[in-house]
Amino acid sequence: MQTTKRFAITLAGILLAFAAAPLVIASVHFQHLLIMLLLYTTLSQAWNLIGGYAGQVSFGHAVFFGIGAYAAMAPLNQWGLTPWVGMAIGGVISVLVALMIGVPVFRLKGHYFAISTFAVAEVVKELFSSWKWVDGPIGLDAPILEQGFYNLMFYKTKLPYLYITLAFFLVVMVLTFRMERSRMGYYFRAIKQRPDAAQAMGVNISRYKQYAFVISALFTAICGSFYAMYILHIEPATVLSLDISMKIVLVTALGGAGSLWGPLLGAMVLIPLQEYSRIWLGGTGMGIDLIVLGLLIMLICIFEPKGIVGILHRLTRQKG
Amino acid sequence: MKRSLVLFFGLILLLGFSPAVHAADPIEIALLYPLTGPLADPGSRAKAACDVAAEIINGSYDLPGIPFAKTQGIPNKGGAKIVLKYYDTQGSPEVGKAETERLLQEGKAKLIIGAYQSSVTKPSSFVAERQKFPYLCAESSSAALTERGLKYFFRVAPTDYHDTVMFFQFLDDMKKEGKKVSKIAMVYEKTEFGFHANEEVKKAVAKSNGAYQIVADIPYEFKATDVNAEVLKVKAAQPDVVLHATQFSEMMLFAKAYESLGVKVPANLSFCGGYQNPVFAKELGKTVENYMGSCTFAEDFIAKKAQLKVLNDMFKAKVKSNLDGVAMEALTAVFVAADAFNRAKDLSPDAVRDALATTELQIATLPGKGVKFDESGQNIWIDSTMSQVVGGDYKVVWPAEWATAKTVWPMKP
Amino acid sequence: MDTTIFLQLIVSGLLIGFVFSLIAVGLTLIWGVMDILNFAHGDFLMLAMFSSFLMFANLGLDPLLSLPIVVALLFMVGLLTFRWVIRPVLGYPGLIALLATFGLSIFIRNLVLFFVGPNYRVINQSILAGKNFSILGLHFSLSQTMSAIGCVLITSAVYLLIARTKFGRSLRATSLDKDTALLMGINTNRVFALTFGLGAACVGFAGGMLSNFYPIFPEVGLNFAIMSFVIVALGGFGNISGAFLAGIFVGLVENVGGFLIGPEFKYTLVFVLYLIVISIRPKGLFGW
Repeated sequence: MQTTKRFAITLAGILLAFAAAPLVIASVHFQHLLIMLLLYTTLSQAWNLIGGYAGQVSFGHAVFFGIGAYAAMAPLNQWGLTPWVGMAIGGVISVLVALMIGVPVFRLKGHYFAISTFAVAEVVKELFSSWKWVDGPIGLDAPILEQGFYNLMFYKTKLPYLYITLAFFLVVMVLTFRMERSRMGYYFRAIKQRPDAAQAMGVNISRYKQYAFVISALFTAICGSFYAMYILHIEPATVLSLDISMKIVLVTALGGAGSLWGPLLGAMVLIPLQEYSRIWLGGTGMGIDLIVLGLLIMLICIFEPKGIVGILHRLTRQKG
Repeated sequence: MKRSLVLFFGLILLLGFSPAVHAADPIEIALLYPLTGPLADPGSRAKAACDVAAEIINGSYDLPGIPFAKTQGIPNKGGAKIVLKYYDTQGSPEVGKAETERLLQEGKAKLIIGAYQSSVTKPSSFVAERQKFPYLCAESSSAALTERGLKYFFRVAPTDYHDTVMFFQFLDDMKKEGKKVSKIAMVYEKTEFGFHANEEVKKAVAKSNGAYQIVADIPYEFKATDVNAEVLKVKAAQPDVVLHATQFSEMMLFAKAYESLGVKVPANLSFCGGYQNPVFAKELGKTVENYMGSCTFAEDFIAKKAQLKVLNDMFKAKVKSNLDGVAMEALTAVFVAADAFNRAKDLSPDAVRDALATTELQIATLPGKGVKFDESGQNIWIDSTMSQVVGGDYKVVWPAEWATAKTVWPMKP
Repeated sequence: MDTTIFLQLIVSGLLIGFVFSLIAVGLTLIWGVMDILNFAHGDFLMLAMFSSFLMFANLGLDPLLSLPIVVALLFMVGLLTFRWVIRPVLGYPGLIALLATFGLSIFIRNLVLFFVGPNYRVINQSILAGKNFSILGLHFSLSQTMSAIGCVLITSAVYLLIARTKFGRSLRATSLDKDTALLMGINTNRVFALTFGLGAACVGFAGGMLSNFYPIFPEVGLNFAIMSFVIVALGGFGNISGAFLAGIFVGLVENVGGFLIGPEFKYTLVFVLYLIVISIRPKGLFGW
């Protein structure tokens, strides 16, 4: 584990790099890439808490994402409520949902848990799809309002969005770092390495898993609210879908689940990969970009199951 | 004397054929379509159709009723050729939006054409509007798209509003012929397309003052494993006609389910969607005999307009099946673009937009006079027709001036 | 509700349910023995359907006749997948294997898209196609009925294979305790490989039969895959009879429930029931 000082320096360096990058490369699309990268890093780190550290793999995180997205967008559309308040509402609802499903679902093992989380997400997706108040499957569009912090909408430049995602990233990284060094982190490591011993010592595993799940849900929802105000159009098929859940899982696992920097590394590889393979190869319509993506995912899994973090460890060890 | 004349004419010829001092740069159009993902099939058909249009515009073809066919390129812009650049939306609104932003960033296109699905066209056209860039929608049918008050958005295809009006006019005509038509069942997918079509139908039924009732309202999830429950619901309601707002793969499932579950509804009408794909009529043959649907193109049209055969053959060479209305709308959109480029005072976004707004393009590709946009951006010169599957082909049966066959009602068992 | 309609719903539910069952049996075998959730399962189904179609379109072979070839083909695919994709990741946390199969799924799907294009295909001239019959006012499609019967037969065959043969015993031993099985002289890697092949072969059969009446396109596997995951979890990990019964259950819920509550909710109903069942019996209806 890194020392606090090394962590702080690394983190500061990364933040600076991200903040300065748009000044070097002026392209709007590049900024979009950075924003998506940071957003998915945050989402994946949030997932990492429960899926990586606590070892409960969830395929339904889209449910929190979607709740956050709708909580920001729907009140804005219907009552003109600022999305920040919507974000808070979304966070609260997500936490409640996490508590509600956590209790019965944590008893389940491995794949059962994963499928259950997916089932929950699908049910919620269907509910939103049939709910008239949010226009069902058609989804919601952001009204054309004055841009600015209050409405969380910026038209002329994407930089404010970038700074917001940087802030999210900062918070979630610090949180994870602290968690690793806390009792909770210690217990999670114990559970992973020696589940029977941990249980014998009376560690109340489910309680800590519940904490992790709740925090995970909260951050995922916040990201969802942000996403709604960034993309400006949400519908059940995009914010409550298995695709989002799986993308989050993919980023984390690719980077290295259960590690501090895994999500960032995974996002740094996967997000540009998806974007650029689509840009270079997508227009042909033959799905080449996705073939490459699928192949790469398999290769990384086969050759370095610990993810990119594993690759880095190996490299640094070799350097001696 | 003769020699100097020959020399003189020779010089003239030389000057005429010498390369222009200002070579006309090609004009780029950006096209957004689902080239991968669940709707890759209609997306790739739209692409093929647009490619055909570009070939015709850039080359020289003798096709009466098709503007820009004879000339090469855009005449008023120095014969500049049209270049099509495709962007894959993967059928996703998020990707569509990102691709729109990206292509606008690249700054090379002079116009956007897209994006097939109403749910993708919506956010992507919002992006264009915010950046004051012209967006030409060929085929998305949700009426809401032109009800947003956008200034830079134009649409070629008829909307589900038009289709509904036509359906009910058709049903009224059937009533006059003595057919029993009053109970309507509607089956529609849970997407923007399906929901809007459903809303329009509900409005029309309400306006009919009891002449029609909806006896079954059946939304379904796009991407189903089977549709038995839906079809049995239709059966239970015993309607006189069933209306469908369905994409192709589900339409196949439905057609087979109707057959295997012994459901015999006198008539089956589809909104523009899966029904139009020629594979549907050809491959399912007997199963879909006498199905009907709105259509803006059928091979039948060629009987009335021979120049369309050339277009159809070029299209067939690319995708091995006939043109359908959706692909034809995309094709027409490219001509609309060419016409706008031709008339625009320059190729800046506002000039192109203004040229689009004043379009009065008479073109033989679609029913109706051609293309003219009203203040909301909707094409008001387009008509929809009703076609019916007869012996594996689509025959136009309504309205009378387009009909090549008489409507078969009820469907043959 | 009309009795005929109700019975018809049950019939339809059973017919599709039997197909679901076989697909789920393939999946549960793999899960039970190797603790791996094969994300590419639906895409294996799609491969089977396309193989059947391509042999039909290019060789004029009726899907019933090409069925054994399709099954053999998918068995090979299963073996190869195990050898190249699964075996390298066996020792690692389950997440990695999951992701490997997820990557495989994307890969296969788009590879097929690349080679055959996105168009929907259908086999409409075959021994089984287009024939329907009715018994006591209930309508049956010949191809669906034959598919259902075929799937039941194969499911029973697989069940017997696992319960009565030596191979079946070594499979069960390996799934109970891999290390002990190894000590007992069972070639666990071979068992794994054959199990994966068998699982794929099951799906191959289902796909081959489906191709008689179902539209065929690169994304067709997804919907079936999702249902099969729920069915497998419902039935209990590794449990063949559980998967069989759960498959029928889901088919019935989907049809009858869908009709009663509204077809747009038919899948939601399946998920809700799954969640209810799983909260009462955390290892599925018959899990151990």
